Amino acid sequence: MRGQSPRTERQEVGDRNRKDAGKHLRQCPGRLMRAPHAVAAVSSRVFLLIAVVGVLTAGTGAATAADLQAGRRKAEPCAACHGADGNASIAGTPSLAGQPIYFTHWQLIKFRDGRRKDQQMSPVAKDLSDADMADLAAFYQAQVPRGRTATLEPARIAAGAKLADFHHCSSCHRPGFTGQQQAARLAGQDYDYLLKLLRGFKAKTASDLDGTMTIAAQPLSDEDIVNLVQYISSLGATP
Amino acid sequence: MRRITVTSLAVVLTFGLILAALAGAQQAAPPPSWKQGQPANLADSTLAPIAQPPAPAALADLHVEKIKVPPGFKVSLWAHGINNARVMVWGAKGTLFVSSRVAGNVYAVIDKDGQRQVKTIATGLNLPNGVAFKDGTLYVAEVSRITKMVGIEDKLDNPPAMEMVYDTLPKDLPHGWKYLAFGPDGKLYFNIGAPCNICMPPDTHANISRVNPDGTGFEYYARGVRNSVGFDWHPVTKDFYFATHGRDWLGDEAPSDRLDVAPQKGMNFGFPYCHQGDMLDPEFGKGHACAEFVPPLLKTGPHVAGNGVQFYTGSMFPSEYKNRIFLTQRGSWNRNKKIGYRVMMVTLGSGGAPKYEVFAEGWLQGEEIWGRPVYTQIMKDGSLLVSDDYAGAIYRIAYQP
Repeated sequence: MRGQSPRTERQEVGDRNRKDAGKHLRQCPGRLMRAPHAVAAVSSRVFLLIAVVGVLTAGTGAATAADLQAGRRKAEPCAACHGADGNASIAGTPSLAGQPIYFTHWQLIKFRDGRRKDQQMSPVAKDLSDADMADLAAFYQAQVPRGRTATLEPARIAAGAKLADFHHCSSCHRPGFTGQQQAARLAGQDYDYLLKLLRGFKAKTASDLDGTMTIAAQPLSDEDIVNLVQYISSLGATP
Repeated sequence: MRRITVTSLAVVLTFGLILAALAGAQQAAPPPSWKQGQPANLADSTLAPIAQPPAPAALADLHVEKIKVPPGFKVSLWAHGINNARVMVWGAKGTLFVSSRVAGNVYAVIDKDGQRQVKTIATGLNLPNGVAFKDGTLYVAEVSRITKMVGIEDKLDNPPAMEMVYDTLPKDLPHGWKYLAFGPDGKLYFNIGAPCNICMPPDTHANISRVNPDGTGFEYYARGVRNSVGFDWHPVTKDFYFATHGRDWLGDEAPSDRLDVAPQKGMNFGFPYCHQGDMLDPEFGKGHACAEFVPPLLKTGPHVAGNGVQFYTGSMFPSEYKNRIFLTQRGSWNRNKKIGYRVMMVTLGSGGAPKYEVFAEGWLQGEEIWGRPVYTQIMKDGSLLVSDDYAGAIYRIAYQP
């Protein structure tokens, strides 16, 4: 059970959130879904540049800049684990740079209300307001993902690529796995984290917004999971 | 000798099992539930369900002035900032309880001095779409359980614990969220949807069920229902009317969603064999005829996503509105040209096809949407509330000629 935030605050939150959400929709790389793989990859890189430039340009304006600056400030305590620019370096800790706004925001909501549980994140998210979440999500989406290091095996990468195709992963996560809306960006994500999460979905213990990932993970063997994660890790941050 | 035979048998069996496992591994894996059933010729389709925003729309993005209603009616914004607002139900003391789906919350809206105050009374629930109210108690249906909050209206700031009513429902998330309502018989009615787009559902799924409010007497009421998340009873005949979402990936024009009537228990409405009353499923229809099943009262259109079903029993609207059905359509995703995103009205005649007309529309502008109407609720004064889960708002439609 949670108390209710005052009406004025709720309203202001809604205003900010939707502004960001709309911005994301317009720029969503998912709109390039018909593009061949290579084109989509280049386009998503262009998209990120546009997003960053857009944010800088808007820096002189009031509302948008305030959101992002507020997000940057609010993200300071997160930097120790997730990196100052949302690129984490601790194995098992996810990078947040370039994650779609909807994705980060929904995860924070779930950490706050207990549907998603984590030793570190649950206490941190407990006291976040809706405005905090919107600001943080906007900040992280605007950061450029750098990718993570992993030891990979070509045979597993090849097997994982086939599995990814077979299981329709890119229909939600987009070609290049750059994510869209509530579906996470996987490109450039941490190896151990991907492994942990996919195993969690298979075990039906990982939190899921509407069940899609839990269902998707059921036919996977642990071998499949490792191969998929090897393939995703091989893509780098901007495949 | 005998031992050797047993051993060889075990070897053969083991080998056979390995082969079977390998064969199994090579079968097509299930795609995401929303994509399941998509034929090869639509594999490149860019259609996908519309993402639910994580926060309600800003006031500036609530384009109430774009909602068109018949002459004499007027639309206003009644409440906003209610993340993912879905089913609305009145408490005895004038509280409007509002459910959500992916937001996991239940809200209480208090209407005081022309202002609406929103309190979140439960969070972290598992797709809590269904809410029903009776004798001071709010009942909440999540995916696999129904709970209740006794005396809730007196404790909105310190909500009571959720007590279990019934918790042995299937845990499947696809079509697992429920509509919940009290029937004229005092029983709680709810849907158990098919756990897929199109499949042979387990015997426990694709139905409308009912249970006593104390959790006893569970039984299936109607079968062959893919997923119904809205129903009501005729104010005079007390017959059960319900909307059903049709399957996806059979093209833009078919099958139609449906409005049905089930006057008694035990009727079968055809899923997964027959859609829209006259269209056999390309896979599961083999060996069946649509005549085996109950046809729809009305084909409501392909992919329109009819959610709310409510008979108008208020006194504000002109007399011809009495006992008309308001059918709220959340709108399509599995269609290249969007359809729905409107409140329809159905006038039942004595004999002949029901009259089917638009009552409110405008959430869809061209191919862009700014909101998705989901359910209606009648106010005490007879005006009609419409919830919008996409924009997190509630509109009021009044007759003010």
